[in-house]
Amino acid sequence: MYRSVVKCLFVLPSYINNTNRHFVFSPIITSNYSHFSTDSNTQPLSPPNPNNYQLHPEIKASSSSSSSSSSSSSSSSTAEGAASPHYETHSSKEEQRQRVEYQDEQACVLRASLHHVVRLGWTEAAMIKGARDVRVSPSIIGSFPRKEAALVEFFMDDCLQRLIDIIDSEELGNLIPSERISKLVQIRLEMQAPYISKWPQALSIQSQPLNITTSFKQRAMLVDEIWHAVGDQASDIDWYLKRTILGGIYSASEVYMLTDNSPDFRDTWAFLDRRVKDAFDLGKTLQEAKYLAEAVGAGMGNSVQGFMRRVFQG
Amino acid sequence: MALRMTSRNTGSMLSFVLSRISLLHSHATSFGFKEVKEEEKSKLVGNVFSSVAQNYDLMNDLMSAGLHRLWKDRLVSKLSPFPGIKHLDVAGGTGDVAFRIIDTINSATRTTIQDGLEDEQQNETRVYVCDINPNMLNVGKKRAIERGLGEDPSLVWVEGNAEALNFKDDSMDGYTIAFGIRNVTHIDKALAEAYRVLKRGGRFLCLELSHVDMPIFKELYDYYSFSLIPAIGELVAGDRASYQYLVESIRRFPSQATFASMIAEAGFQKVEYENLVGGVVAIHSGLKF
Repeated sequence: MYRSVVKCLFVLPSYINNTNRHFVFSPIITSNYSHFSTDSNTQPLSPPNPNNYQLHPEIKASSSSSSSSSSSSSSSSTAEGAASPHYETHSSKEEQRQRVEYQDEQACVLRASLHHVVRLGWTEAAMIKGARDVRVSPSIIGSFPRKEAALVEFFMDDCLQRLIDIIDSEELGNLIPSERISKLVQIRLEMQAPYISKWPQALSIQSQPLNITTSFKQRAMLVDEIWHAVGDQASDIDWYLKRTILGGIYSASEVYMLTDNSPDFRDTWAFLDRRVKDAFDLGKTLQEAKYLAEAVGAGMGNSVQGFMRRVFQG
Repeated sequence: MALRMTSRNTGSMLSFVLSRISLLHSHATSFGFKEVKEEEKSKLVGNVFSSVAQNYDLMNDLMSAGLHRLWKDRLVSKLSPFPGIKHLDVAGGTGDVAFRIIDTINSATRTTIQDGLEDEQQNETRVYVCDINPNMLNVGKKRAIERGLGEDPSLVWVEGNAEALNFKDDSMDGYTIAFGIRNVTHIDKALAEAYRVLKRGGRFLCLELSHVDMPIFKELYDYYSFSLIPAIGELVAGDRASYQYLVESIRRFPSQATFASMIAEAGFQKVEYENLVGGVVAIHSGLKF
């Protein structure tokens, strides 16, 4: 009887969308005495007035605390097994939950938190919601050393991974390098389009002194990945130049996108194309300037040589 | 011949095992630097805290020069409480940690309500203060009334033993124990209980006086704790023995790394510790999955 009641208590919420509210109705303290029957457990299911049962847990009691606690724990684990269908990968892990590594769980929480970012921003509130969605105690957020930054950084890493997958799968080979670069930057920026209203907040989190090193590294990796996709094998000073320029283009487009109201960010992509073209033109210009300098240098050298020769002859 | 050898081997092994068992069953444990029976320790610790309960906060302020407030603030900020938390503060009789948690949540909700976290979650916040000593709990209850939290439904006072908690499995988001685990007879049992009551993703945090390793600071600290603290205790609280026990029990407590490995053995993941004031206190944390 007790077992089935408890099961009801735990399983029921999983079929209701707003789960968290119901969970807390279950009494928290296990109990040692038998003057309260299991009926008090059913009471929370029909709660017209929250204040009635709020005081119950610590007074409440039932027989044999050890057996009741063990049965409730087993039923709670089955309830978690029957979690909402959105997180099937998660619930399949449930069997070996002793073996679960906390990093996986943290990633799981962060992924769920992203659903709430649009409404709540890159905040702890979104992370609390996310943790509740995957039925992990929101307490886990305290284990992220830099809370919101962890969420933003997770998103950046996730996007980079998706970009790498796209690079690996899709054939961009038929595009010329400049087009390929602007295409890749566009793909990457489109990933953050759903969060565009909250992206300024993410940028401000990334630029906080504590987080700036990580965000800089992530951007460097992103730019590096794009250049690799274009097939760049440079290892000289050009390497730095190219990455700096692309980093600049990426960041400029990212900021442009924030205030872009055109449909599908058309203006941003046009802006991006122009910048990439400029950069390649700049590359050409630099090359030409180098040739010019060489020519001038050679000319100067000749005339200086001639001048010296004349001086020494004279 | 071979048979005799084996029998002798088993015999010696048996006697070894027996001696191990008898060691295990002698139930000797430490009370400060003294060896006492296990049953006695809890009684002795109970006596200590009954006698210091009234002056507990004053003495804490004097002994740590007010620093214990900062340490507790740090503990709570590491916990990062949220509206709707189910928290268990063990050995927190005077409510220091519990009040801080509730204050943090109250100040946090003001901002998070705009962010969209519903107000109802605030009503579901529960901070259970569990202490084995009713005298300490009474001090805490009195202070709660002074702070205007006497009627707050989110604050629940429970008398209980850290080694056998009266809470359900997987029921808590957080577990803190501040300056308490040292006085528990079986630390491993208390850790196992902490692991049991926490939910998946729940966090264990322990604030405890620990070991100083810095050479010169260590000598100063030893002098301070063995010469001055018992004297202060005698002057202010009129109880030298209790404070003698206090400093001795600190030295008896396992070092930071050992204690961290004990937490890991209890099943916690991501076990970390942070030394404050060069190791005078340490905050250990673990994550349950």
